[in-house]
Amino acid sequence: MISVRGLKKYYRVHQRPPGLKAALGALFHRPHVTVKAVDGISFDIRPGERVGFLGPNGAGKTTTLKVLSGLLHPSGGEVSVDGHLPRRREDAFLKKIMLVMGQKQQLLWDLPPAETFELNRAIYDVPREQYRRTLEELTSLLGLGELVQKPTRQLSLGERMRCELAAALIHKPKVLFLDEPTIGLDVSMQAAMRDFIKRYNEQHGATLILTSHYMDDVAALCPRVIVIDKGVLSYDGALDELVRHVRPEKRVVFRFAREVPQIALAELGKVVSVDSVSAVLQVRTEAVNSTVTRALSTLPVLDLTVENPPLEEVMSELFSRSRAAAEAAS
Amino acid sequence: MSRYLRLLLVQLRASALLAVQYRSDFFIDGVISLFWTATAIVPLLVVFQDRALLQDWSMAEAMVVTGWFVFLNAILEGGINPGLQAVVEQIRKGTLDFVLLKPADSQFLVSTSRFQLWRVSNLLAAAAIFIFAFHRMGRLPSLGGILASALLLVAATAVLYSLWILTVSAAFFVVKVDNLTYLFGSIFDAARWPATVFRGVVRFVFTFVIPLALMTTYPAEALLGRLEASKLLFSLLGAAAFTALARWVWMRSIAHYTSASS
Repeated sequence: MISVRGLKKYYRVHQRPPGLKAALGALFHRPHVTVKAVDGISFDIRPGERVGFLGPNGAGKTTTLKVLSGLLHPSGGEVSVDGHLPRRREDAFLKKIMLVMGQKQQLLWDLPPAETFELNRAIYDVPREQYRRTLEELTSLLGLGELVQKPTRQLSLGERMRCELAAALIHKPKVLFLDEPTIGLDVSMQAAMRDFIKRYNEQHGATLILTSHYMDDVAALCPRVIVIDKGVLSYDGALDELVRHVRPEKRVVFRFAREVPQIALAELGKVVSVDSVSAVLQVRTEAVNSTVTRALSTLPVLDLTVENPPLEEVMSELFSRSRAAAEAAS
Repeated sequence: MSRYLRLLLVQLRASALLAVQYRSDFFIDGVISLFWTATAIVPLLVVFQDRALLQDWSMAEAMVVTGWFVFLNAILEGGINPGLQAVVEQIRKGTLDFVLLKPADSQFLVSTSRFQLWRVSNLLAAAAIFIFAFHRMGRLPSLGGILASALLLVAATAVLYSLWILTVSAAFFVVKVDNLTYLFGSIFDAARWPATVFRGVVRFVFTFVIPLALMTTYPAEALLGRLEASKLLFSLLGAAAFTALARWVWMRSIAHYTSASS
């Protein structure tokens, strides 16, 4: 469905030196630097797959999405989406895709979302009957109801985002590019959006690429992740595999019948947190069994659970490692 | 083609809804624009207070030029300016992305995205000025004159629109073009005068670079029945050239946007 080979996107940017004298000098001679936003990325995505792009700010995730959707011309490499070259932006291609950006909106600000839907219906040539059915489906799945008749500017962020999604799905795209779709939403709204996206993918077999800062989004939606850092692909595979690779440790969460001295805990593993009758320990995966056995025999354990470390921590560790590696190399 | 006609109707509908949504704005806007239309005649009254002719133009004849100025200004502010002004903002905010992702011509989409429908009233004001002017002259324009001026109206609108596309295209390369559009507005103001009152370099610029003569003076001369055929031909060819140039520059600008923005 999607094939990317050696994708590169470089920008030439002016370097604005600090200070008035240097700034005046730059009026006549502007030094340029080349920024490598994406520097040789390759991957393939099968139809119906759900893939998450992970990476710190400025890693090249959004740039890659924009190249895939035809908004940016690549500086090098080959990109194909369902047999099309995105940069040509042919109508047939544009009718197959959609791009939702959490930071930008397409809804007409002063008019009800229904007007944007109608406009998109006309632009995408959606037959009336199909439009009516799609809109009905989206309205019930997203719980739009009366929202679509209220001027957009009167909607809350969560309501607006749901309408944004509906507006982008009017033409039933086969490929969904979602760039931070849940940004700024509260936790329950994030969960509702995730449910919807997942259900849409399952019902329509649409291919989905998602970037998000919220690891929960990625964990809930994307069995496969692609980690991009400084424009380079640093991991492509299953999410739990990545977690095991970066943090080959588990967390054991204890609840005790009475207070336990910290020294006794420290003997078992690395203490992540502790208060009067509960504690979290970090132990290597292969040591979980023996640790639990020892704890049960020596401590007043009421109950315990074994968990993966939080994704946020895994990611920040992954990115700080790559930063350290880059600094060591330079 | 019929698809784009349908799209135009949908866009017009949105503009109409918008106009109705803000009823008070709608009426205030209308009163203000009628006021400005009325003031368009004031300079003429001042100039003709103590003279009968201005470079071969009687007051009634010069009024026909003013009538075309009011007419074109209504087209500019009602049909061209609102959509294209919004592009500058869309480029700055990056929401032009959504336009480029649509399976329809981007220049068409941005040009038709917004209309100020109330400006239609200014077209009526222009008609009133024409009627008044010809009443003073005590005659009627010829059928040929009306047809020629209608052709010139199309040419003038095309040139005006193309100049705006060129101005807005600058926004793809420099960040702020507000000043540029303001400058253009002030230059266009000179179109209220018959082009023959200008001399030398200014006249050359207003004929060939920013062809104000084509926009108001020639249509007026056509209505008055004294436009040479060569000028009509020159205008139509010039308008076609301007339109082609604007289209070329727009396509180049879009390519620049898609290869440079982030």
